[in-house]
Amino acid sequence: MAEPNTVDPIHQFAVTDIVSLGDGAASFTNASLFMVLTVAAIVLYLLFSTSSRSIVPNRLQVVSEMLYEFVANMVRDAAGNEGMKFFPFVFSLFMFVLVANLFGMFPFFFTVTSHIIVTFALAMLVFLVVIIYGFWRNGPKFLRLFVPAGVPAYVLPIVVPIEVVSFLSRPISLSVRLFANILAGHITLKVFAGFVVTLGSLGFLGWLGALLPLTMTVALTALEFLVAALQAYVFAVLTSMYINDAIHPAH
Amino acid sequence: MNVPRETKRPESAGKREPLTSDLAARIARAQAGGRVQNEGTQRGAAKDFTGMSRALRLGSEFIAAIVVGAGAGFLLDQWLGTGPWLMLVLLLIGFAAGVLNVTRSAAAMNRASPPPPGSDLGPGDDEDDEDR
Repeated sequence: MAEPNTVDPIHQFAVTDIVSLGDGAASFTNASLFMVLTVAAIVLYLLFSTSSRSIVPNRLQVVSEMLYEFVANMVRDAAGNEGMKFFPFVFSLFMFVLVANLFGMFPFFFTVTSHIIVTFALAMLVFLVVIIYGFWRNGPKFLRLFVPAGVPAYVLPIVVPIEVVSFLSRPISLSVRLFANILAGHITLKVFAGFVVTLGSLGFLGWLGALLPLTMTVALTALEFLVAALQAYVFAVLTSMYINDAIHPAH
Repeated sequence: MNVPRETKRPESAGKREPLTSDLAARIARAQAGGRVQNEGTQRGAAKDFTGMSRALRLGSEFIAAIVVGAGAGFLLDQWLGTGPWLMLVLLLIGFAAGVLNVTRSAAAMNRASPPPPGSDLGPGDDEDDEDR
């Protein structure tokens, strides 16, 4: 942080130790805190809202049921009924990303998903599940994933490496997409909000001018809520599509 | 998202049917239409974003493949000591894989949101619609 009047849009992403266990050792940071809070919020909400199990659900239970059905339909559409054994996995990922994104929309909260190491860990989890389950279920036939049907044998030496690289690029694109969306959104929001503060310190004309970035900030906040939900949705959809590849490798 | 509320009940207004049969009909209608309605709202929500989310999706797919190709080539080169060659080859392969990723996800996007019927798609595209 430099002068008090300038806005530092990156400062919000700083990871600070809360409980340190010594230099270089694992420590409990604000990122860890918000991951714990995210998981706790999800678990408490789902347990609380479904505890009554009423046939005529109240509002909280309706939201839980809608989330369940939304993800269930998504998995079923992408990976078929067999993919439903991965429903808990996809649902957990979806809820974690969604709630972490929405937590980031609170002022002064830390956005877990704006750190690529977090999103990359989630993406690697998906990637490893796909590989391990694919080999466990299909054996060596899983490698047919890299051999598109109907391709003549003499182009295979070119096509197979391309398919392999395309497959390996999945965790990168999955994680970079989520992280970049959230990071870019939060920085933009902060920059525009910073314009309001800087212009506001310039007197009356500044106040008039500050109306423009203020409108923009309000609009961007709405957009960020949409992005938060959409990115969780995209992450979950792609996860179920990749799981479909593990179940049916020949495409 | 808001389904326009029916202010007037069709037909049954004059005959005074029991409320329950009306309810049953409404449940049946909701069950038949629920699925379609859900998809409609999703598409409506997704429309607001098309620009940015599509660009980020396609861009990340494309760049990720190139980065993975070049990175894998670099590591293999270091391991095998084969100069810059594997990295160059894998960079090109990564480029091809990136194009493949982009065409695949663009095809998936097209499938997910077909143009509304009757929309003007421009002059005939018989030549270049293999990716649909």
